[in-house]
Amino acid sequence: MPVMGRTIRNLRASYSQVPLLGWLCGALIAVTLERFAGTPIALALGLPKIPALFGLDIMLKKPILVPNAILYVFLVYGLPMGATTRSSISLTNRLAGRLFRFPIAITVAVHLALLYTTLHLWAGISDYRALVLKLTLIAVMLTLSLNVINGYMGEFSCSHPGFMALGAYCASVFTVGLFVDDRLFGAVFLPPGLGPFLFPVALILGGFLASFGALFVAIPSFRTRGDYLAIISLAFLFIVKSLIENLEFVRGPRGLSGQPDLADLPTVFLWTVLCVWSINNFVRSTIGKALNAVRDNEMAAGAMTVDTRRTKIVAFLFAAFWAGVAGGLFAHVLRYVNPSTFGIQNLAEVLAMVYFGGLNSVYGSIVGAVSISLLGEALRPLEIFKWIIIPLLLILVMIFRPTGLIAFKDLDVTSLLRPKRKPGGEV
Amino acid sequence: MRKESRFVVCLLVVIMAFSLSGRAQAETIKIGINAPLTGDIPKVGEGTKFAAQMWLEDVKAAGGLAVGKKKYTVELVLEDNESKAESAVKVATKMITEDDVLVMVGPQASKQAIPAGGIANNYKTVMVTPWSTNPDATKGRPYVFRACFLDPFQGPVVANFISTEFKFTKAAVLYDVASDYPKGLAEFFKKAWEGLHGKGSVVAYESFTTKDTDFSSQLTKIINSGAQVLFTPQYYNEVALIVQQAHQLGWKKPIVGSDSWGSAETVKLCGKDCYGAFFSTHYAAAGASGATKAFIDRYKAKHGYVPDDVAALTWDAMLLVQQAIQKTGGLTGDLKKDRENVRTAMSGIKKFKGITGEMTFSGGGDPIKCAVIVKISDAGEFTFYKSVCP
Repeated sequence: MPVMGRTIRNLRASYSQVPLLGWLCGALIAVTLERFAGTPIALALGLPKIPALFGLDIMLKKPILVPNAILYVFLVYGLPMGATTRSSISLTNRLAGRLFRFPIAITVAVHLALLYTTLHLWAGISDYRALVLKLTLIAVMLTLSLNVINGYMGEFSCSHPGFMALGAYCASVFTVGLFVDDRLFGAVFLPPGLGPFLFPVALILGGFLASFGALFVAIPSFRTRGDYLAIISLAFLFIVKSLIENLEFVRGPRGLSGQPDLADLPTVFLWTVLCVWSINNFVRSTIGKALNAVRDNEMAAGAMTVDTRRTKIVAFLFAAFWAGVAGGLFAHVLRYVNPSTFGIQNLAEVLAMVYFGGLNSVYGSIVGAVSISLLGEALRPLEIFKWIIIPLLLILVMIFRPTGLIAFKDLDVTSLLRPKRKPGGEV
Repeated sequence: MRKESRFVVCLLVVIMAFSLSGRAQAETIKIGINAPLTGDIPKVGEGTKFAAQMWLEDVKAAGGLAVGKKKYTVELVLEDNESKAESAVKVATKMITEDDVLVMVGPQASKQAIPAGGIANNYKTVMVTPWSTNPDATKGRPYVFRACFLDPFQGPVVANFISTEFKFTKAAVLYDVASDYPKGLAEFFKKAWEGLHGKGSVVAYESFTTKDTDFSSQLTKIINSGAQVLFTPQYYNEVALIVQQAHQLGWKKPIVGSDSWGSAETVKLCGKDCYGAFFSTHYAAAGASGATKAFIDRYKAKHGYVPDDVAALTWDAMLLVQQAIQKTGGLTGDLKKDRENVRTAMSGIKKFKGITGEMTFSGGGDPIKCAVIVKISDAGEFTFYKSVCP
């Protein structure tokens, strides 16, 4: 046993010197390997296909294949990643060090390009992967934007699906009206080739509409807190939902379909990066700190010259904007929206992601959104028991880590990208 | 060095061991079932699952599905779509790209069938939705079919039935404005009725919102409007409340409904108040004969209740799929080609004898089939009253 403990400690010590660049390169090598040798390896291991989600998806359907899937994941991801990252520690550290001398924007761009290439190759294996990845990235955006209100500002807002619905409908009306021959909005207005260029406009308009809607929650929040604001924001959600249900020009409860296929993986990835970047900067700025002050004690914050009203309005509008953008992307990934999608169930899911991952933390939101999305996919075959297991997990997290898995942690990009070892060799 | 070589040897042994297992799935046909097993309408999912499993039993009892000269074993890929649009899309993508299903049956409700139909059409895979009555599900999608009639057909059927049966000229409508199906049907009914009796003949057109339980204000308006008949295309839980409250407020004229009434729960919840009411639907359980009766009896013996229309339509959808696969005359083994062949065969199905009536596909994914008018008898059974064909 002590031998094992020492080995693990040694492993941890050696891998802690791997910079992020090293991990990304390792992942890239692993997915490239999967791309070229994935199918033969899977077949050799007795799997019918490359397991789509690390074997999570077949885990419960065919338990007999679980060891095969684990072995596959080990052979294709674990082994190459482990070996290459370990053996190239000095190389990647030197590279990271050299990259680090450039302006930070270039360093970040190189890392993001690597990350995107990895994800692109990974998702290229199967369309199911790509779809799950896109919806997960959208969930990350939603969770992060809700975390601004519920985590950083400490209010309990229930209106997020409402913001998302506003964004989704606004963007859909924009694209369907302009690029699709639809019986509601008439013939094609602009050549569909312009679609990808005007899609950001649609998303931003959706975000602005959601922000406008957020005013109706932000203003009451001046005088109410806690449970009362929760009820007001819940009311807002229902107002949005019944508004859309009664609007005939977006086809009411029948839902709006036929959105052009504009939300491909690069688009969703780019918007997610923008969202993470801007929210991370927002919460680390002066106004972000003001949010925390309002959360901890509104009166004291006011006494310390924090303009609490402005802070609240900005936070609500900002969070709603990103929820609206996420909604617009969501509508174009599914290419169908209907009002009942944006109901209590959706709210419960986003809240679960926020509280599971961790309040007041960008890391936490990413972890929460990714893990709940993947769990949802993995546990689908359990049918009704899925709805017992996920809430149970949430309860356990709440008991043992009351603020979520990774709460109150700043995402500091510089320290994340820094080389982990001096080129000389010493740590 | 020795350690590493030992490790590699171990690894090879393990790989060999695993490669012996599996790899025995040569001649199977996979059929995807995209069903709402959890969420808002679990009863619908249950009916779908049970009907599909009964069909599978039959196929297994026959020793597999004979296509051309070969017999294939059939595997159902059953997935839960949680009654959510995005999950229905995920499930459809997974079935088609990961599980390699030949055909997908479901989703049932239109709010899932519309987006999932888009996916099926993109991947050129036949999808049959047994229950979705919204025209958008199949419109402009050559690979999407359905096993039921559409709302634009059902609305006029009910309007004609009331006009000829009772000779009424003034009707009232009460519907849920927030729900896709009732709203659409209410509109189609209104249009048909006004076409028959002139503008203003729908004297009351009242709405409410999902999960409302008190309808007295709308019903009072309806009673005061002088309407001779009330049409309410609602689901079973609302039907019970509406009918009971109408009777309490003094409504004594007929009440007519649509195929959403056709659940075993309607009479259970509504009781004597619903006796004597009419509704249009896909099939009548009481007094059924032939294959329909055999299906009902078998289902009842197995699961303890009379199957509702979803189960019957799913059964028909499974048989439609079976016929289409068999009509291809043999599978090539190339999934893309086989899916295309199934689509061609499916669109050419004529006079298919289903338990919910005869179906013919003549271009497009919507069958031509008859509707049935059912009367709720004094014993609380759904009895056949009349058949209306297009």
